Formats: sequence, structure tokens, C-alpha cells
Amino acid sequence: MNSGSVLEIEGLSLRYGERQVLNGFSMRLAPGEKVTVCGPSGVGKSTLLRCVIGLAVPQAGTVTVFGQRLDAVSVWTARRRMAYVAQEPDFGPGTARAALERPFSFRANASLRDNLTRIPEWMARFRLPADLLDKETAALSGGERQRLALVLALLLERPLWLLDEISSGLDPENRQTVIDAVARLDGVAVLAVSHDREWQAALPRTVAMAPPEPIRKAER
Amino acid sequence: MNGAFDIGFGRLAAGYLLLSFPFAILLWTRAPLLKDAVVAVVRMTLQLLFVGFYLQVVFDQNRMWLTLLWLIIMVGVADGSILRGCRLRARRFALPLFFALLAGTAVPLLVFVGPILGRSPWLDAQYAIPLGGMILGNCLRADIIGLQRFYEGIARGEKAFHQTLAQGAQLGEAIRPHVRDALQAALTPTVASMATIGLVALPGMMTGVILAGANPMTAIKYQIAIMIAIFAGTALTVYGAILLTVRHSFHPYGLLDHDLFVPKRVR
Repeated sequence: MNSGSVLEIEGLSLRYGERQVLNGFSMRLAPGEKVTVCGPSGVGKSTLLRCVIGLAVPQAGTVTVFGQRLDAVSVWTARRRMAYVAQEPDFGPGTARAALERPFSFRANASLRDNLTRIPEWMARFRLPADLLDKETAALSGGERQRLALVLALLLERPLWLLDEISSGLDPENRQTVIDAVARLDGVAVLAVSHDREWQAALPRTVAMAPPEPIRKAER
Repeated sequence: MNGAFDIGFGRLAAGYLLLSFPFAILLWTRAPLLKDAVVAVVRMTLQLLFVGFYLQVVFDQNRMWLTLLWLIIMVGVADGSILRGCRLRARRFALPLFFALLAGTAVPLLVFVGPILGRSPWLDAQYAIPLGGMILGNCLRADIIGLQRFYEGIARGEKAFHQTLAQGAQLGEAIRPHVRDALQAALTPTVASMATIGLVALPGMMTGVILAGANPMTAIKYQIAIMIAIFAGTALTVYGAILLTVRHSFHPYGLLDHDLFVPKRVR
């Protein structure tokens, strides 16, 4: 493990049945570094993020997060240092306020409970109206749910963010707001999967994933 | 109690004439239930005759080991019915579920026949078997509802479940809302029946005790005790079944193992 990496992925391979989704993918992420991951649909970009947060289990290869190789024991502590925003976040039943408050009832996040006072500030940063807090999350648009998940990532003070097409449900104005906010995050490493050129323009490095073997890595 | 008035086999056979009404209605309306109804009546008769003869032997012998054996066999049969009812893999669920059913049945039964009834011996077949059967029957129904709601609920809401894990929840914290939901679904029928009992219909146990010649106040005391035993048993067995099966049902990363469901097409 390179001591300067927050994330190190080595030879990651995953197959769903007959379909090879990832084949020996490797990359590194330095502290505070922000990287866009791009590539055609079905190349395994979302699966890559799910492997890093431990929501998919690769058949081969390793994921090392903050110096800890991901396994059945370390995955539980590693998740406390990562924020994962899915393309279509699902908060389960309840209001937006409950969705923001629930993670602070977990033992891992209990010490951060005071951060809940910053909800209005972060909501405003992502141009979310305050009355949205009392709405059911199921009634929110995809873009609102994505921004709500970003607010939660800020509240939880995670140093590594995994973002999966998080501006796909946004209009151009809100998309630029989100991209700018993420690009300006201080001391937070970001792995952002996106097709959008705006992301590639805003974040300093781009990693391209390609379907044929072997996986190619292109640096911008 | 001086025992219920017996029904002669000849008179019971005459009772089957009542079946001409439902059969005639089904025939006339061509409701596609006639064949199933005939099979069900035949099965009911044979099963109950078999159990009747067998129980007669168990009651006459009234040995503690025989009573215990009977209760354990009933728990084993219930175990199999639950797994078939929930589409869950027998190999990994049968044993933990057996213990959950055993605990849910044995604990309230022992309290009922011990401190509440206070008869000697505690495991008198005449009391232990029917009381155990009533508690077990309710545990079976509750486990089917509870396990189904728990595992299918997680599978249906898997994106939200994964989101919870990604937010730093331990497995126990991530499954907590689903445990709550499963308990709610499994215990609601018992709670509802406790709330309305006596108002809508005379419950089975009370009817049985009255038919056996007891006065209504004795019957009510039995009914109250069995309702409490059933409520305690169902809560214990559902909670126990979830706790005991969870360790075999999730990947060490906290992900639900979908292999625990039996695919529909092979049923």
C-alpha cells in the first residue's frame, strides 16, 4: 500500500454469472484527490464503487481504504470513513428529516450528532428548500434525493466520497451547483462516476474504464 | 369437570350429511373448489382419526417421555410447515427454527402447566398436549408471517438496506426496522384477538372447557391463561427465529444472501 493513498484498488475482478463486469481494474486515490471515473454503460463503474464500500464482493483483487485492506472485519469500520451516494438514493420510508437523522442513531455516528444543527446551511448550499425536510423521501424527485444524500455526506464528515452519477437527475443550474460544491470540498477525496463532461472539467483527474480486456487507464 | 358428552360414530357419520349443503352450493355455482373440498374433508377425517387413536394411547400411558416425544414431533412437523410456507432453504433454517419453536412453545407451556395450573405431574398428557398444541399452532402461524416479512422485506427494500450499511450501521442496526416490522406483522393477529375476544365469538379453548362440563368462570380463567401463553410464545418464537437465522442469512459484509430463498419454479 502506498502510504500516500486513501484508496488503493488492485486487480479488481467481478463477474455476475456469465458477465464479466470488472476485470483486473486498478487505481489509486491520494488524500483530498478528486477523480472522475468515466466509460460506456455496463463497463462496471457503479460496481466499482459498490466494491469499495463493500456492497459488492469481488471474486479477485483487493480494495485498501485508509491503509486497511477490506475484509469481513475491516469493512464495518471502513464504511464509517466513506460516503456513498447512489444514482437513485433510497432512504426507505419516512420524511427527509428522518432520513438525515436516522444515521446518527447508529453507534458509529453518534458522536457527530451535533452536526444536525447544520442541516439548514448544507440544504441551502445544495439549493434545497427548507420545507422539503417534512416531505416523504418517496415523494422527492431523483435530483432532490441525490442532493439530500450529499447533505448527509457532509453531515457525517466522511473523508472519502463515492458518487455514482449524482447529477443525472438535475437541471443544468443545479448540476453546476453540485459539481462546484464537490470540487471545492476541502480535504475530501472524491471518486465520482459520471458521463458528464462538466465533471471531467471540474475535477483534476479522469480515469476512463473500457470494456475490452485488459482494462485501460487513461489519465487526462 | 365431568367430561364432554361423547358422540357415537354413527351419529357423527350422520353429521356428514351437513356437507350436502356446501357441496350442492359448489356444484350449483360451479365454483372450482369441489374437488379440493372433498379431498380436504377426507384428509381431515383420516388425520384426526389417526391423531385421536394415537393420543388415546399417549393419554392412557401418561408417561412423561411419551408426552415430551409427542410435543417434540409436533414441533418438528411445524418446523417443516413453516419452511414450506416461507420458501426458505430447509438445510440452513431447519435447526435454528426448531429451537425457536421449541422455546416459544416450551416456555409458556411450562409456566401454564407449572405455576398456573400447579397439577402434579406437570407434564400430564391431558393438559400438556392440547395446551402445547394450541401454543405451537399459533407459533407456527406467527413464524411464517414473521420470517416471510423479515427476509422478503429486506430483499424488497434492499437498496435502502444497503444505504443503511453504507452509512455505517452495524448489521444489528440495519436489520432493526425489519425486525420491528416482522414482529408487528406476526403479533398483530394475536393482539387483535386479545382485544376483541369474547365480544365477537367464544374462543375455542373456552368452548372446549365449557363442553367438558366446567362453569364459565373456570373456562374464562383457562382462556385468559392460554391467551397470555400464546402471546408470550409467539413473541418469543418470532424474535428467536429471526435472531437464530440471521447469522446464516447474511454475507460477512452484511449483505443478504439471496440463496436462502427457494426459487419459485422448483417448488
